[in-house]
Amino acid sequence: MRSIVWPTFLIVWQEQLDPFSLVADELSILADRLRSMVVAEVPKLASAAEYFFKFGVEGKRFRPTVLLLMATALDLPIARQTSEVAVNTLSTELRTRQQCVAEITEMIHVASLLHDDVLDDADTRRGIGSLNYVMGNKLAVLAGDFLLSRACVALASLKNTEVVTLIAQVVEHLVTGETMQMTTTSEQRCSMEYYMEKTYYKTASLICNSCKSIALIAGQTAEVSNLAYEYGKNLGLAFQIIDDVLDFTGTSASLGKGSLSDIRHGIVTAPILFAIEEYPELRKIVDQGFEKSSNVDRALEILSKSSGIQRARELAAKHARLASAAIDALPENEDEVVQRSRRALVELTHIVITRTK
Amino acid sequence: MISVRGLARLARSGYARRRWVYSSLGCSGSAPLQLEHSSHFRNPIQSSREVLGCRVIYSWVSNAISTVGQQVHLQSSSAVEEQLDPFSLVADELSILADRLRSMVVAEVPKLASAAEYFFKFGVEGKRFRPTVLLLMATALDLPIARQTSEVAVNTLSTELRTRQQCVAEITEMIHVASLLHDDVLDDADTRRGIGSLNYVMGNKLAVLAGDFLLSRACVALASLKNTEVVTLIAQVVEHLVTGETMQMTTTSEQRCSMEYYMEKTYYKTASLICNSCKSIALIAGQTAEVSNLAYEYGKNLGLAFQIIDDVLDFTGTSASLGKGSLSDIRHGIVTAPILFAIEEYPELRKIVDQGFEKSSNVDRALEILSKSSGIQRARELAAKHARLASAAIDALPENEDEVVQRSMRALVELTHIVITRTK
Repeated sequence: MRSIVWPTFLIVWQEQLDPFSLVADELSILADRLRSMVVAEVPKLASAAEYFFKFGVEGKRFRPTVLLLMATALDLPIARQTSEVAVNTLSTELRTRQQCVAEITEMIHVASLLHDDVLDDADTRRGIGSLNYVMGNKLAVLAGDFLLSRACVALASLKNTEVVTLIAQVVEHLVTGETMQMTTTSEQRCSMEYYMEKTYYKTASLICNSCKSIALIAGQTAEVSNLAYEYGKNLGLAFQIIDDVLDFTGTSASLGKGSLSDIRHGIVTAPILFAIEEYPELRKIVDQGFEKSSNVDRALEILSKSSGIQRARELAAKHARLASAAIDALPENEDEVVQRSRRALVELTHIVITRTK
Repeated sequence: MISVRGLARLARSGYARRRWVYSSLGCSGSAPLQLEHSSHFRNPIQSSREVLGCRVIYSWVSNAISTVGQQVHLQSSSAVEEQLDPFSLVADELSILADRLRSMVVAEVPKLASAAEYFFKFGVEGKRFRPTVLLLMATALDLPIARQTSEVAVNTLSTELRTRQQCVAEITEMIHVASLLHDDVLDDADTRRGIGSLNYVMGNKLAVLAGDFLLSRACVALASLKNTEVVTLIAQVVEHLVTGETMQMTTTSEQRCSMEYYMEKTYYKTASLICNSCKSIALIAGQTAEVSNLAYEYGKNLGLAFQIIDDVLDFTGTSASLGKGSLSDIRHGIVTAPILFAIEEYPELRKIVDQGFEKSSNVDRALEILSKSSGIQRARELAAKHARLASAAIDALPENEDEVVQRSMRALVELTHIVITRTK
């Protein structure tokens, strides 16, 4: 159970808590900083930068939101003997470092998108070989490299080798996750364990390791850092599982209105995996592949009969609860701003579950 | 006289951590010399080297009076007369590094094994040039270890330091190959246009992923060094590689014919990796800022010389005459030093460059003008100038009487000759 709600905060407690608006202003500053950095340094990469910020807006800047909220949620009370000026300077300096982690995270995220999506398009543009196409792809790869290198320089500036190690591992995980997705055996493709591992590498690792980095930079204990990690990990897993569900359901609760892009690319996700447990014949269809749309239709038919979608949602909800529990396990802090950020983080665990896009 | 000059040279180097004790063999006939007779004697294992005090003094003499690169000839020891092949000095160590890298890549992500093949193909092709430079630099910058540490501790320290140096070499190679994987992948795109097999797409995507994997491995390895200055340097290198490649891809007509732009691009694409990793080697060895900068200058000038000759060879190939090279630069519209120099003499070449080189007639015309001009010659001279600067940086390093150190320094100087005279 939560601790006593102070009467003076009662009004605030009742307000609708939108996690994104809590940090929207700060995020704008970060986004502008990133945008101007990319464009000014390497103007030729400006077109790739557009892509960069397109995704930033689309995703509501989900990751940086989590990190900035976490930064506030883990704010340690500063010893009072320090002068007020020093306190403000320390706070600002620490906050800047936290923002840096958020920027780094976003740079790495977008770099991985640039690299992944570039060549996913290759087979659909096959034969349309214009120089712009080639330049576009090459620039996208270079832009990804540029962002990665910027992330490395920024990482180095934090002068925290544990954080550098964590974030560097994230990049490795992103690659591993993408490789896992590309090159699966039939056995692996129908394995829930493989799917969860892949999901961790592709989605959760970035969020949880950057959450942990936020905690480390804040000078928090190992225990608190691990709680931040657990929050990020479970939030990330929940986010991706629902993402996979939405690929089938779209904005409606019913099936088949989603983009179905996963299944068309032969990517097998949680709903299908659960359905296979109930209807083993679905396994054969999966093994045949989904190039023929008739197979897609048959799979959707079986999926709708099964409780695959439902069980996937339950799995996501389970991870969302674990994330929420991690926040509740954080050491008590009576600061109102800190409490509000923690509530916002909990609210996020609800949002990732209930969202329809 | 000799001793005064030598002392003056030592004093100029400003190297504050000299701990040498010269034995009083006095074989040169002069009075025994003792510099800074400190308690920091060398490791007893190396005491046998003091027998070579004679040779040390000779080398000291030669350092004091010789010009660049000539000290080799003034030394009396037969060991010095041997043909110095820089690559063989570190070949064994490099094999170990290469195996480590190969097994790491394959074991962790077996699917990337095919990309790893590509990786090691390039490693072999380039004679592992960069790691060779770095390992030689590591030996050349070896600081004598204080004797009060126990012998076991000394060996442990040496091994630990060497491992860190090797790590820098591995990181450098990983970054180099990652950049190759990324660059070459999409250079092939337009030649394979229309041949859209899944293997083709998978091959490209795997190559991009493999490059990312190597980059991330490099970052993790960098972090393990726990030296944030080195991390910053190497991270900047990655940025420079991207910048250099971008500069090459998207030039205006003005930039394409600018020697300054060319040199800047060459720095970013080739020299930066070598010089910043040389500097990292020095920093990890605990060297002074001055020595670290010398290492940087060596790497930078060596890299520039290397690339300029590379650009020359693209025209000349293995023969001294023109047109036998692969001509791949000019066919891709990449304008390099020989052409830039030729344009200075024959402005009409500029117009041909602006037209582009898709038509082979333009290529022929350009080659014709190039052969009339002194473009190739002047490019070679520019490379030689940078090679000399690199060599001078080694000579400016603080004296070190250790034979192994000296040999490595000579090898580094030898490399500055090799990059100039090589024909492939």
